[in-house]
Amino acid sequence: MTPHRVMFWQIGNVWIFYVLAGLATGLFLAGVVAYVSVWKKSSRSLEIPFSKEALKRMILDTFLGRRVLQGDVAAGLMHLLIFWGFLSLFIGTSLLAIHHYIFTFLEGTAHLIFSFGLEVGGLMLLAGVIWALIRRYLQRVPRLERRLEDAVVPLWLLLAALSGFILEGLRLAVERSPWGGWSFVGWCLSGFFSPAGAEGLYPYLWWGHALLCLGFIAVIPYTKLFHILGAPAGIYLQGASKPIVLGMEEGAGEFDLGDAIFFDGCMRCGRCVEACPSVGAGEPFAPRDFVQALRQALWQEHFPLGDIRFMSPKEESKVDENFWYCTTCRACLEICPVYGAAFEVVTKKRVLAVEEGTMVPKLLNQTLEKLFKYNNPWESSKRKRGAWADGLELIDLTKRGAEADLCYFVGCTTSFDDTAQMIARSFSKVLQTAGVNFGILGKKEPCCGDIARRVGELGLFEEQRKGSEELFDKYGITEVATSSPHCFHTFKNEYPEAPFRARHYTQVLRELMAEGKLRFKKGVEATVTYHDPCYLGRHNRIFDEPREIIRAIPGINLIEMTHYQADSLCCGGGGGRMWQDLQGEVKMSEVRIREAEATGAEILITACPLCLIMLEDARKAAGLKEPFRVMDLNELVLQAL
Amino acid sequence: MTEIRIIVCAKQIPDPEAPLSDVSVDAEKMEVIVDAPQVISPFDENALEVAVRLKEEAGGKISVLSLGKKVSDTVLRKTLAAGADELILLEDDNFENLDSHSTAAALAGAIRKIGDYDLVLTGRQAGDWDSGQVGLILGEMLALPCISLARDISIEDGNVLVKKNIPEGYERVKAQMPALITVSNEVGELRYISRTKMLKMMRGARSIPSWSAEDLGVTPEALQQMGITALSSPPDMGRDCELLEGSPDEQAEKLAEVFKTLR
Repeated sequence: MTPHRVMFWQIGNVWIFYVLAGLATGLFLAGVVAYVSVWKKSSRSLEIPFSKEALKRMILDTFLGRRVLQGDVAAGLMHLLIFWGFLSLFIGTSLLAIHHYIFTFLEGTAHLIFSFGLEVGGLMLLAGVIWALIRRYLQRVPRLERRLEDAVVPLWLLLAALSGFILEGLRLAVERSPWGGWSFVGWCLSGFFSPAGAEGLYPYLWWGHALLCLGFIAVIPYTKLFHILGAPAGIYLQGASKPIVLGMEEGAGEFDLGDAIFFDGCMRCGRCVEACPSVGAGEPFAPRDFVQALRQALWQEHFPLGDIRFMSPKEESKVDENFWYCTTCRACLEICPVYGAAFEVVTKKRVLAVEEGTMVPKLLNQTLEKLFKYNNPWESSKRKRGAWADGLELIDLTKRGAEADLCYFVGCTTSFDDTAQMIARSFSKVLQTAGVNFGILGKKEPCCGDIARRVGELGLFEEQRKGSEELFDKYGITEVATSSPHCFHTFKNEYPEAPFRARHYTQVLRELMAEGKLRFKKGVEATVTYHDPCYLGRHNRIFDEPREIIRAIPGINLIEMTHYQADSLCCGGGGGRMWQDLQGEVKMSEVRIREAEATGAEILITACPLCLIMLEDARKAAGLKEPFRVMDLNELVLQAL
Repeated sequence: MTEIRIIVCAKQIPDPEAPLSDVSVDAEKMEVIVDAPQVISPFDENALEVAVRLKEEAGGKISVLSLGKKVSDTVLRKTLAAGADELILLEDDNFENLDSHSTAAALAGAIRKIGDYDLVLTGRQAGDWDSGQVGLILGEMLALPCISLARDISIEDGNVLVKKNIPEGYERVKAQMPALITVSNEVGELRYISRTKMLKMMRGARSIPSWSAEDLGVTPEALQQMGITALSSPPDMGRDCELLEGSPDEQAEKLAEVFKTLR
């Protein structure tokens, strides 16, 4: 007799099973339809762009669990065990159905391999689910929530897997087939049962197991299990459609399909909560809670029955008013398994708030007024914009006949703030030493629009963008170097028709070094550490250039903080936070300065005027004294020339 | 709740938040030169914000009056974007540099011309000269109950309930409408008006009525210009900074020495 499987062994009234299966599928589909209807109503367009890249990324991320593994190997392995365990059982069951209804192929060796495979799959699922329960309830990993569904879902899977194995044991206890050993788990269990008892117990347990499994399929859309569909869809869409600039047209603050699916694909894994600097400073904002609140609001608005996901608390809607806390540092996107850009959703909410007007915090309201009136957020006179350059004899590119190879775009903060002016002066001197023919825009230098863009004042941003483009065009400027990573980011990524190339000063310095124009004649004997500005590092992936410059200085010993590069912590100045009066239990900059101090370095180097101001203030507030200093990279470079 | 009709008086002034370096004095011409954008006086913006909130609650109509020799509708259209229903510019060559009494007289003319109203709101004082007179004189001229320095305004059964600032805190005052109230900054900033909203309001083909002295029934002889008798530049506030070194105790001792020399 060839090895085979008896279908519906000992089961009568098989039609009931088909009715239940139909019911489960119906519930599942009804749930999916509910999702699609909400997406349809909440998004401007249901258009799904095709992208080979995004498709490839979706497949690799889904099947290899790359994004879940990243940064948390334990969670990643646990997820892989559940994922592959569940998937192999699902595929196995599907194969069995094909074998039973379409054509017979699971016989002989194929059946043995099949049996063995399912045993492994079941064991993986069991191990994964138990591990998940341990992580959440015994190890109590801080980022994990413990809602009702967080217990129900894994326990459901656990029961389904266990009952499956026991069922197999019961069957094998009766069958005692010579190939039973291939189903090794069931085979071992079969030793515990007497054939007669097993035969009697089997149908009851079979129906229980069937109900668990069919029920499981039915509840997928009504629990966090929906991420089985939502996460891959989210991963695809986040990769396929990325608007560079939020347009000024109607509906700029509305959600698109990618956002809605991101909210529904969110598993509440809490990685963003762990990474978010606002959470770290004890502020009342957390990307996960924000996203969940938005999700609920969306369902409340667009689905007649509200949030269909049961076991999710209903009082979340207040949470989403705290979006002014977000510094748009991008840390949440860096680690989100579904590439959810919560900070971009924050910007959309801000667009709506700015349009509405009454919810704009007082200080920000004033800052925006100033930004419009004086084209800078620092309320200083436009006339004083070039004052930092007094005595440096720089070319003013707006003067008749003035020409230069490079336009140094100083930026509002670097122009007006006493601490940050150091950046402009030292960078100019470095350029002069390197023999670069460069000029500045003096009094006529505009604001790049970063602040307006980040806080959601898109109308102002558009005006500033047009103004800047016209100005650069008028003076024939094609090469721009900025002090601030914020101006750099805005020019590079949010000026779609920019008639010039923008670079951050670290890129310029690195190039001068490569060309041999920047030679470090003097050394600086110091141990230093480097703080990655969010808009230089995470947003624009410039991690190496500043480090290469630092390392090239003789005598310097560069050491890293606990959080560095893509994992760096925000200083708290981005996203418009510099001009707002929001506070948590501690300041983000203080968290960062303590981390810098803990390395034992004497100098904390950074490459952004906002970071410089925030960190220098934090140093003073924390009472950290000489020799510990905060310094801009230019200052260090200048010392070494 | 019955609908209310509110008139808000808004003055256009050079930005009082302009940096000092943009302000200069021409002592010869007796002129203060402010090289700054024109804005609506901040307390008048506060008054407008209250008006909009009251309208949102009860429904009604808001008319904004702005008086001057030349009033910029690009500045004042902000009031329409914020929620006012009507903007009337009171423009006349004779409206230059009016003193408080004359300004009130002209405004009173405009308000009588409008005729039907429940509340007149002004800022507690203008952001340029800070006299704080026009609102109260206007109330007197219109023979209205008048409450100054309001920090909170609400409407109840045809009465207006006001929390009025006093040095020790505030008083609750009730008055029958129509009434005049001068509004203080505690009521809250004017809501933010986005550039998109502003531009839409600018592009709108809406014509803004302009009334002259004649329209208001005010004769030029009745208007008195404000005169400056003396004007000088602010003293040079050059800073002389000396850092006191040493331990906190030593620094305190040195500081005490400095104070002694200043006595």
